[in-house]
Amino acid sequence: MTVEECYEVMKGDYQDVLSRLRTDERIKKFLIKVLSDPSFAQLCSAMESKNMEEAFRAAHTLKGVCKNMSITNLAYSASNLTEALRGRQEYGEDLEPLLKKVKKDYALTMACIQML
Amino acid sequence: MNTKKTILIVDDSELNRALLEDMLSADYDILEAENGLVASRIIQEHEMDICLMLLDIVMPVMDGFGLLKLMNKKGWIKHIPVIMISAETASTFMDKAYGLGAVEYISRPFDERTVRHRVDSNVILGEKQRDLSSRLAAQIYEKEKDNRLMIEILSHIVEFRNGESGLHVLHVHAITEFLLQQLAKTTDKYDLSPKRITLISNASALHDVGKITIPSEILNKEGKLTAEEYEIMKSHTLEGAKMLEDIPFRSSEPLIKESYEICRWHHERFDGSGYPDGLKGEEIPISAQVVALADVYDALTSRRVYKPSFPHEQAVNMILKGECGAFNPLLLDCFKSCHKELERKLKQVSFDDAAENDINNTLVRTLKNEGTEVSNRTIKLLEHERNRFKILSSLSREVIFEYNAVPEMITFSDWCAEFLGLPVTIYNPADSEFGKKVFAKKDFKDLIAKIKATSPENPSIIEKYLLDIKGAKTWCKVYVRTMWNDNDKPELEGAIGKIVDVNEEINEIKYLETEVEKDFRTGLLNYRAAKQRINDLLANAGKRKFALIMFDMDNLKQANDTRGHLFGDEVIEHIAKVARENTRDEDIVARIGGDEFIIFMEYKRSIEAQIKRIFKCLTQEFTDFKISVSMGIACTEGGITDYERLFARADTAAYAVKKSGKNAYRFYDETMKNILK
Repeated sequence: MTVEECYEVMKGDYQDVLSRLRTDERIKKFLIKVLSDPSFAQLCSAMESKNMEEAFRAAHTLKGVCKNMSITNLAYSASNLTEALRGRQEYGEDLEPLLKKVKKDYALTMACIQML
Repeated sequence: MNTKKTILIVDDSELNRALLEDMLSADYDILEAENGLVASRIIQEHEMDICLMLLDIVMPVMDGFGLLKLMNKKGWIKHIPVIMISAETASTFMDKAYGLGAVEYISRPFDERTVRHRVDSNVILGEKQRDLSSRLAAQIYEKEKDNRLMIEILSHIVEFRNGESGLHVLHVHAITEFLLQQLAKTTDKYDLSPKRITLISNASALHDVGKITIPSEILNKEGKLTAEEYEIMKSHTLEGAKMLEDIPFRSSEPLIKESYEICRWHHERFDGSGYPDGLKGEEIPISAQVVALADVYDALTSRRVYKPSFPHEQAVNMILKGECGAFNPLLLDCFKSCHKELERKLKQVSFDDAAENDINNTLVRTLKNEGTEVSNRTIKLLEHERNRFKILSSLSREVIFEYNAVPEMITFSDWCAEFLGLPVTIYNPADSEFGKKVFAKKDFKDLIAKIKATSPENPSIIEKYLLDIKGAKTWCKVYVRTMWNDNDKPELEGAIGKIVDVNEEINEIKYLETEVEKDFRTGLLNYRAAKQRINDLLANAGKRKFALIMFDMDNLKQANDTRGHLFGDEVIEHIAKVARENTRDEDIVARIGGDEFIIFMEYKRSIEAQIKRIFKCLTQEFTDFKISVSMGIACTEGGITDYERLFARADTAAYAVKKSGKNAYRFYDETMKNILK
């Protein structure tokens, strides 16, 4: 799978990332780093232990990483969760669908990158 | 040599840092930090190398705003341009970042060209600013130097005519400055900003400028002046004031104004008895009051044609007693409390230093006020010192640590860190292994409290703590010297500390102590030590019960006679060994004479069983020699609580055994009372 195809499947913005990072080679190099980025795992465990502050930070970082790599789809769902978590003290059921969406998009993204 | 400039990237996501590094590493060296606290540590070490910082906002431990605040507090923000990189686009975030001194704001996702362009242009801008401010510093330095020089030339002309050494002006300058600084600390009654203090001290150099108009016959007359001559002499105050007043167009200059007041009124006295105007109390400007005191003090302690020099203490006493006219009580109090330090300070005054110090002070202050950086040189020097310290501490193989007050952290050299089995940098030390394990928690708290209780004048601490160094409990001396910044109200910056193992020292002392207490043949306690310990136990006995057992050997003579003295010694050593082996560690066993021993032990209900066992063990055969002992026992149960009486009773009981056939033990009872008679 080419980098462009990968972006198409995981619903990212290939033109955007190319204009910023300039070569496929570089984009690929950093996409592979996304695989080992710990923020998603941190987000999940923070949500599980209902630590809202940490969950916010992790979601925020995940969003930043995705934005940098123009992984638009996951960036969007991570952003939604980030905003729901911002300034929040207590866990609520309303977070679950947002988290679920992030998890789904994350799984897709990882699968695509792994196929590179 | 590496000429690349360094950029610090602060972001909690490794991927983001790597992206930025990738974009910039061709042109710059990159340092990375995963949060604000780590970044602060890096800045502290590399302040002068870092030409720019890229900073994320949302991070754990210390976020971007926290770091910006810290950079403001430490003054780093003046040297290091900060570009914020964040996915936050809310304008409140941007405003806040700009408000805290960030120069740019790049929002995610960033592209390579933007990042490189903004980084490059801000680095160049920073360079230019640095260059400009060092030029500015050089210019201010030159200007101040010239100013000071002119004032000094003027005042030396006066002194030259006066036949004085020229040190007078410097002394009055130094004393005035010092007294004003002390006064500013004790009262805010007068407007004594650092700037005004410098102004008054500089103006003080001109206090006798009016003497230029006094004929030198009068000025340098040996012996007493006539009344008429004295009147002429006194006119130097008004003449000086007039000269300053007449300077065209400049009468509103603060320096001229202060000088005028000092010239005119530095011979006024607080009770109104001075000249030329007979001003009283606070009518006399504080500048003239302080210069008057400085003038008097220096005149007293210097030799003049008409008088010898007085020693410091005497001069102080004369002033405090009012022998040189009345001064403001507030000023005298201040003088009284700081005169020792003043004496020390004056010893250091020399021509070059005075000027240099002063100019540097002005420079630092001016630059501070202008809002530019202090001096690159100072920071360079500091960094240089820090490196030297690092190298020295790793060479010396001593445990040396650096304590930083805000944010709180402790740093070791690589060697020390390895030695202690700790990381090089410890954030929040009170909650770390260093503050909870190496130090006992309360000891560390105690140490930090003591550090905070120091002052710039008394910055040293020496304390002894029982530390845990890699699992081994060790007595250590901790030497600490605190460091303070040079603000008007100094704040604690941190401290340098050294940990010295004194365990060996203490063990040595303990060893010597027990050696002194020992009977050298048997290794048991000697009489003196045993008595001391028994008395200690008896004094705190309460309801506890003790027995004193005293015994001697019945047949030592026989042992010596039949098998030789060496054998006699062996028997004694054997008895000591048996006594020790058949008692508990907390029992006291001592040899108190040739073949006399005592045992002192606590018991619960009855002691008879123990006695029986000890006696039996003692009187067994030793290499075919049957040992015989007579043993007497006295108990505290009968209300005997002092050693002397207890011992007398045990001794009596033993004597009773001897008299009734030896080789037995007996408890003291009242029937033995008369046995000795």
